[in-house]
Amino acid sequence: MDPLRAQQLAAELEVDMMADMYNRMTQACHRKCVPPHYKDVELSKGESVCLDRCVAKYLEVHERMGKKLTELSLQDEELLKRMQQGTGTA
Amino acid sequence: RSGGRPRPIMAAMPPPSAPGGQEPPPTPLQYSLLLQHLVGEKRQPRAWDPAALGGIPSPPKSEEQKMVERAMESCAFKAALACVGGFVLGGAFGVFTAGIDTNVGFDPKDPYRTPTAKEVLKDMGQRGISYAKNFAIVGAMFSCTECVVESYRGKSDWKNSVISGCITGGAIGFRAGLKAGVIGCGGFAAFSAAIDYYLR
Repeated sequence: MDPLRAQQLAAELEVDMMADMYNRMTQACHRKCVPPHYKDVELSKGESVCLDRCVAKYLEVHERMGKKLTELSLQDEELLKRMQQGTGTA
Repeated sequence: RSGGRPRPIMAAMPPPSAPGGQEPPPTPLQYSLLLQHLVGEKRQPRAWDPAALGGIPSPPKSEEQKMVERAMESCAFKAALACVGGFVLGGAFGVFTAGIDTNVGFDPKDPYRTPTAKEVLKDMGQRGISYAKNFAIVGAMFSCTECVVESYRGKSDWKNSVISGCITGGAIGFRAGLKAGVIGCGGFAAFSAAIDYYLR
């Protein structure tokens, strides 16, 4: 697969991926940090601090999982290549 | 054959070419390359707009606006606000109690002498300033500790004011000894819990 085609495909998929991640992150952090007591319109200091931390952790988890997934897929492709070469020469 | 744990293989094998087929087999889908462009090193940084991702579109905030908002939400600003408010309130309270508690200008030789206006005003001023300073310090301490505790816990509920009330009362009472510190802690914590309950 040529890199240009991969890049184009990735650009298309990235929008979907980012939108999905944004929505999930908003839901998760809202559920975790904003208790359902709506006596005040503004976000209190504790809630703002919690949301900052939640977003930072979520993005870091996303990045690490992505790197781990890339690593695993590289390993699998090496394995597959070796298998193919093995069956090719056999 | 490696004794690896069973895991779904993340590459796709190309379909075997038909016997006597003329077309070349289609290129396999390389997940690793795709992932590298998506989340790996080859990812290009972009500016994401929350409106495009599904959020509610809103105009972006300028840097000055963000800085001002950050300053107004900071613990130092809240402590300063409480200090000024405490000063004003303490001044008013001191002047008011000076009018009630009359022991100004007491002359042992003449207990029924009415104090002069100058003496009364001086006493009111002194008491006002003294109360104002105390209230300002207490208010600033309470507000600062409450903000710090709330930032640390990441929640805003009644426990923040109880904990910071205990710290403030304990710090004030500690100067007079450990027992006074404990009583101050309990008293101030109960007081701030009552105020919090009334306000919420």
